[in-house]
Amino acid sequence: MAKDIQGLGLGLAVRFSGSEFAKKYKLRRPAEKLAYAGTKKGFEVIGQMVAKKKAKKSEDPKMLPEPSTAGLFDLTLSEEQQMIKDTVRSYAEEVVRGLAHDANEDMKLPETYLQDIMDLGLNYFSVPESMGGAAQSYSPTTNAIIAEELAWGDFSLAYATLAPVAVANAIVKWGNQKQKEKYLPEYLAETPVKAAIAVQEPAPLFDPAKLSAKAKKTKAGYTISGVKSLVPFGGEASMYLVAARYKRRNRLFIVPGDAPGVQWQAAPAMGLRATATGTLTLDKVLLGPDALLGDDSFNFEAFMDLGQLHWCALAIGACQAALDYLIPYVNEREAFGEPISHRQAVAFMVANIGIELESMRLMVWRAAALAEAGKPFHREAYLAHILCSEKAMEIGTNAVQLLGGHGFTKEHPAERWYRDLRVLACINGGMHL
Amino acid sequence: MKVLVAVKRVIDYNVKVRVKADNSDVDLTNVKMAMNPFCEIAVEEAVRLKEKGIASEIVVVSIGPKVAQEQIRTALALGADRGILIETEEKLEPLTVAKLLKGVVEKEQPQIVLMGKQTIDSDNNQTGQMLGALTGMPQGTFASEVAVDGDKVNVTREIDGGLRTVALNLPAIVTTDLRLNEPRYASLPNIMKAKRKPLDTTTPADLGVEVKSTLSLVKVTPPAERSAGIKVDSVATLVDKLKNDAKVL
Repeated sequence: MAKDIQGLGLGLAVRFSGSEFAKKYKLRRPAEKLAYAGTKKGFEVIGQMVAKKKAKKSEDPKMLPEPSTAGLFDLTLSEEQQMIKDTVRSYAEEVVRGLAHDANEDMKLPETYLQDIMDLGLNYFSVPESMGGAAQSYSPTTNAIIAEELAWGDFSLAYATLAPVAVANAIVKWGNQKQKEKYLPEYLAETPVKAAIAVQEPAPLFDPAKLSAKAKKTKAGYTISGVKSLVPFGGEASMYLVAARYKRRNRLFIVPGDAPGVQWQAAPAMGLRATATGTLTLDKVLLGPDALLGDDSFNFEAFMDLGQLHWCALAIGACQAALDYLIPYVNEREAFGEPISHRQAVAFMVANIGIELESMRLMVWRAAALAEAGKPFHREAYLAHILCSEKAMEIGTNAVQLLGGHGFTKEHPAERWYRDLRVLACINGGMHL
Repeated sequence: MKVLVAVKRVIDYNVKVRVKADNSDVDLTNVKMAMNPFCEIAVEEAVRLKEKGIASEIVVVSIGPKVAQEQIRTALALGADRGILIETEEKLEPLTVAKLLKGVVEKEQPQIVLMGKQTIDSDNNQTGQMLGALTGMPQGTFASEVAVDGDKVNVTREIDGGLRTVALNLPAIVTTDLRLNEPRYASLPNIMKAKRKPLDTTTPADLGVEVKSTLSLVKVTPPAERSAGIKVDSVATLVDKLKNDAKVL
């Protein structure tokens, strides 16, 4: 039988050596040689030919010049980015991680958490220097790095920290002078700001492009009505950035937390528990003339894309936390007299988490870098979101699985990571749009 | 008053140190580097002196390869005002470092030189003392409290079995111990500002110091792996083992 197969192979090689195809592409002689020497020997010949060709190439005087590093697809962080990453990571490690378990159980932010984390100066970081802040330029890449490192400490607490920053970023990017002067100084005060973006609506197959919240122009300003879900801060936010339909477009409105007609009702979710999520009901809330963010050039799609990248970056942080937790665990946990990592089923799962996580990060950074350069990034952000939604769930569930029975208990953080990571596929249209 | 802080780039304290296969040295390839923790305490103390209105300028100096700039930037992000890098690729020993620092001290004329009591890479605990000897400045080592009082500085030192406070005439050298303070996190805005603070580069030759080694590293070996423990079946056996085998009772 084996002989027959080799015979067939040789037959093919012989036929090939005589073909027009071989002649045309000057493959005839090598192919003849192949046919002559038999399959095994033939492969050696091919190998030698390739090697010869390579050697010849390097003697060619018109050799390619040394590649310049300028065009390199370079993901090295800048010195500042590296320092920011290291600082935020050590804060996440020394402070945030320790608070995560109880915050999740209590379903509220630790008492002084938002105040304490002001040490990092994230609030100043979103306000431009000209207004007394410290932001030199808008950098989605740096924001992604900050989000990732904070979420390495805890997903929910990172979200609570960065939700107000996201509001400030939107005001800086799209707001007019009056809005900036009115809302940004709050970020430079001594007390932390609680503010959040509210896009999500409690509708089946919610599509952020088709909002049911509606706003209308009035004599004195605007009026807005609608229901928003997964809104953090337990009703204590001083302002919300609410997405609503206005003049057949999707726009953002700045809604003060204490405006008449604004109601918040607790609606605890599977994840993000420390942020005390709930449902925000807006019943004909009257807003001033400065409530509408930005002018007609406002780009709702870009706003949503930046938001998605932000969620992705948070997920990457939590996935990295899971991976960093799993590796020592599978190397130390013994079953059948050896570490469970000696089992391929386990080792492959861990390796896949590492590979997928790196792809998530690369896609998010690429989209963020395009956004930072002012280039179109919708496609890249979309792809990153799809990948991150899917893989974040998978990594979360595998983290639980790899810890075995332990993963299911609250003794290990894996179940919390799993629940938090699940959010990506469920918000802002999830992964089905 | 001007404060000079010396910082060193070392392997990050979180990293598990590996030894090169030929036992010639510690393996530094792809290892995360950071500021020596004792140096971080020294920077923090300098920043606190500035916040109290005692120090007017904080100059931070490091000696090493170009990348040691990172550690100077970290110090600038924590609140130092300007940096000096003495660039050299050579291997440095405490005496050379002390000579180089002496050069900087003569140029900058600081009132207080703050430095870590030792670096966590070679654990020499010599540089501060040598700098004291070379410059003739008084030294307060292992500081757990630093209080400037007019033209004196009171340094509480951690010594065996207690604390000892010495009063030093300024200018003086203070080396920091672990309990002096808890360094802050650099705030993100300060990290951005650090980029704009001045950082000068100089060389040992500029300072008139010849970098040469009088020491040679013979061999580096990792600590022996701990052997596995044993299980005993009763308290009596345990006590017996502790008494007769381990001889700790």
